[in-house]
Amino acid sequence: MDRRQFIKATALTGTSATLASCGNPEYHLIRFIPEEALTPGIAVLKPSVCPLCSAGCGLSVRVIEGEAEVIRKNQLGVTKMGLAKKLEGDPAHPVNQGRLCARGQAAIQVTYHPDRLGHPLKRTGARFTGQFQELTWDEALSELISKLDSLAMANDQKSLAFLTRPQRGLRSDLVAEFASRFGAPEPIAFEFFSDDVLRRANALSFGKEQLPTFDFAESRYVIAFGADFLGTWNSPVSQSIGYGQMRQGRPGVRGKFIQVESRMSQTGANADEWVPMKPGLDGVLALGLAHVIMKAGLRRPEAAGGAGTLIEGWAGGLAGYSPEEVEKQTGVAASRSERLAKEFADQRPAVALIGGAPLAQTNGLFSALAVNALNALVGSIETPGGIFFTPQGRVAQTRSIDKVADSNIQLLLIDGANPVFATPPAWKVRETLMKIPFIVSFGNFLDETSTLADLVLPDHSFLESWVDSRPESGAKTAVASVAGPVMRPLHDTRAMPDVLLEVGRKLKKPLSPALPWQTFEEMIRSSEKSPAVIDRRYSGAARTVNFIAPQFDGDAGEYPFHFLPYPSAAPQRICPGCRNYRIRSRARCGAAGWRSIRRRPQDCRLVREILWRSHRARVLCGFPRLCRRGLRPM
Amino acid sequence: MSHRWGMAVDLDRCTGCEACVTACRAENNVPTVGPEQAARGRAINWIRVERYYEGEFPDVRVKFRPVLCQQCDAAPCEPVCPTYASHHTEEGLNAQVYNRCIGTRYCANACPYNVRFFDFANPVWDKPLHLQLNPDVSVREVGVMEKCTFCVQRINEGKTRAKAEGREVRDGEIKPACAQACPTTAIVFGDLNDPESEVSRLSHSPRGSKLLEDLGTKPKITYLR
Ligand code: SF4
Ligand code: SF4
Repeated sequence: MDRRQFIKATALTGTSATLASCGNPEYHLIRFIPEEALTPGIAVLKPSVCPLCSAGCGLSVRVIEGEAEVIRKNQLGVTKMGLAKKLEGDPAHPVNQGRLCARGQAAIQVTYHPDRLGHPLKRTGARFTGQFQELTWDEALSELISKLDSLAMANDQKSLAFLTRPQRGLRSDLVAEFASRFGAPEPIAFEFFSDDVLRRANALSFGKEQLPTFDFAESRYVIAFGADFLGTWNSPVSQSIGYGQMRQGRPGVRGKFIQVESRMSQTGANADEWVPMKPGLDGVLALGLAHVIMKAGLRRPEAAGGAGTLIEGWAGGLAGYSPEEVEKQTGVAASRSERLAKEFADQRPAVALIGGAPLAQTNGLFSALAVNALNALVGSIETPGGIFFTPQGRVAQTRSIDKVADSNIQLLLIDGANPVFATPPAWKVRETLMKIPFIVSFGNFLDETSTLADLVLPDHSFLESWVDSRPESGAKTAVASVAGPVMRPLHDTRAMPDVLLEVGRKLKKPLSPALPWQTFEEMIRSSEKSPAVIDRRYSGAARTVNFIAPQFDGDAGEYPFHFLPYPSAAPQRICPGCRNYRIRSRARCGAAGWRSIRRRPQDCRLVREILWRSHRARVLCGFPRLCRRGLRPM
Repeated sequence: MSHRWGMAVDLDRCTGCEACVTACRAENNVPTVGPEQAARGRAINWIRVERYYEGEFPDVRVKFRPVLCQQCDAAPCEPVCPTYASHHTEEGLNAQVYNRCIGTRYCANACPYNVRFFDFANPVWDKPLHLQLNPDVSVREVGVMEKCTFCVQRINEGKTRAKAEGREVRDGEIKPACAQACPTTAIVFGDLNDPESEVSRLSHSPRGSKLLEDLGTKPKITYLR
């Protein structure tokens, strides 16, 4: 029976079971197909790596043969090929242990998205109008090469810039290597809620410039300051696995979890106690807890070691952070913070964590250092139930996006980042990009940033190319994942690393001595079998920090979400279709940005419908027109 | 020994992340109906995560509860079906035979859990999204009822594999898409006839309860508080 017959067969039965079991056959429903005749297709499972966030979860992709319309040599035709059908977590992967988040489950639609770009494009109209014209790869590449050559001719290599997502792996190594060999500054890594502040704080407190890994499975008490660790922050799947274990994985022990934040997040919704507080004062509360612990003699200040000495007044027991003072500043009742502090010190092992919005405040570093000191005080660094640091290999150097504005960029290459969408208008990213004479995007979609590009060289989807990742956190051991393509490409696209290598070869002054590989696959194969783990000890000048009040600009109108207890409690501001929480008016949505908002790969249909469902009430009374456009009926 | 498939959902582990919902849609070719239809209550979700709020701001707690077909032993949807499209299999599954269904929707009216969905239109997948369709699951056309099958295609695959290898199905070997995806292991699936299985153990937990237990539907899903 071939697969098509098989589909028909299952359609007929729904399920099947043997008839012969018992009784008179006439009392049984007639099965259309006897069980013996049913042969489920055996799928092939191929490994891959989830590209949607930097957690780098391992995938096991179910691949089944099917017929697809593909473009080969500029001809559209139907061909039989292996098609990815479903993404599942790789059970052997140390980070996600067989599980995936909702986003990872939906990642497959990056490949099958109807709006995916199938050809290289060249801009014909004004920027942001979305007028493009198709061209061949040869034309497109020679255009890029001539731009690079003319930069080199003018001895202006410094004005080439690379804008990427924060990734760790050979792909980002290649980008960094390309930039440095060409003579350009290091790539710019963009993420809206950047965790650089936390990295810096960990470097100062513990000598490790990286994000932490949490051993929730062993914890009995968790206090999170704003960290949406069950939602999207850091390594959500590995953290969720630990969370499940913490709650019910140990007979007779149920870990307690407190969330301190200004807006109830998905994570906060799961807390035993949700502690609302004024934004930006997380560090004050953390030091308030430390004060109570030290004052009650539960721990001595020296226990915190170097992490404590960074905080002004630590050795003296933080006299300025009495529960009453903390209540005045943060709005958390004195009796409550006292109780939380005692519980935190009593319950072993206990861990505190900070992430997300508190780190984005102007005093983010202070808050992070305060939470680090609190952890060190109760001894939860590198101990079971506490914080660990995944051993790291080499990390390509990057710089932050605020460097874009004040550097003179002539040629910008964008790989997968969409800062025009993700940043608030006050950052003026779009205006800055508009000033750059030539922009090349490797995007799969015409998103807000790609519509500014002069040349779009669409990348393969992750299922069609070699992928790799070296996650920064999420496992106690060093992890490096590499996987080959799961299926052949659907469109006339090319893998970005292959394009870079080819361009490097074809420049007037070729980069090939430094980048000798023909393809990315070759580069991966020739890289070290197991990348060396480097102990990247950080020794910065230690200077004590004191409390700095957070500063705010903008108003509630610009950031409606800062003032909402839970997203679904939001007024009509949410567009259920595009999940663009920052929509302020219908006009914004209907304007040029609209189409591209819809085209964001993350807003795949699966996720959209789910979101849509949870906001149904608002669809009825809110913006029906807008929603209809946001959610094309399928 | 015949199987009796059941499930336990640990609400203390569940974080409401909806990975199960997404996984189910991807596995079972569940169609997306678009906003107009969904606004009329025609959205199809074989599994959904219900939210319950407790307390007044600022002392709020949210409870999440994934709700799918409870695969009742005394299913109210079965006796009302005039064509026996909705019926019980020997393994205790509450099965739906799509091409026997004539769309009376009696079963949906009888179901107290709101987990049976009617296809008001033929599903549409914009090209090339149709390439993602799982060939192990039939695509339902207009006019039939559809609902969670406990991923019967995965059960069959697991049994076939065990048979080919000449052994019994191992506990935990067969996982519906939702249980497979769940990051916190809130959903556990297995054979209730096997007293050693994880799901049997959890079903007897003192924390356990059934959804709308007093209706007497004898659901095979146990929720652990
Ligand atoms: S956490 Fe989710 S989005 Fe991130 S890599 Fe893992 S599955 Fe992908
Ligand atoms: S995947 Fe698991 S944790 Fe997430 S909503 Fe479903 S049952 Fe709950």
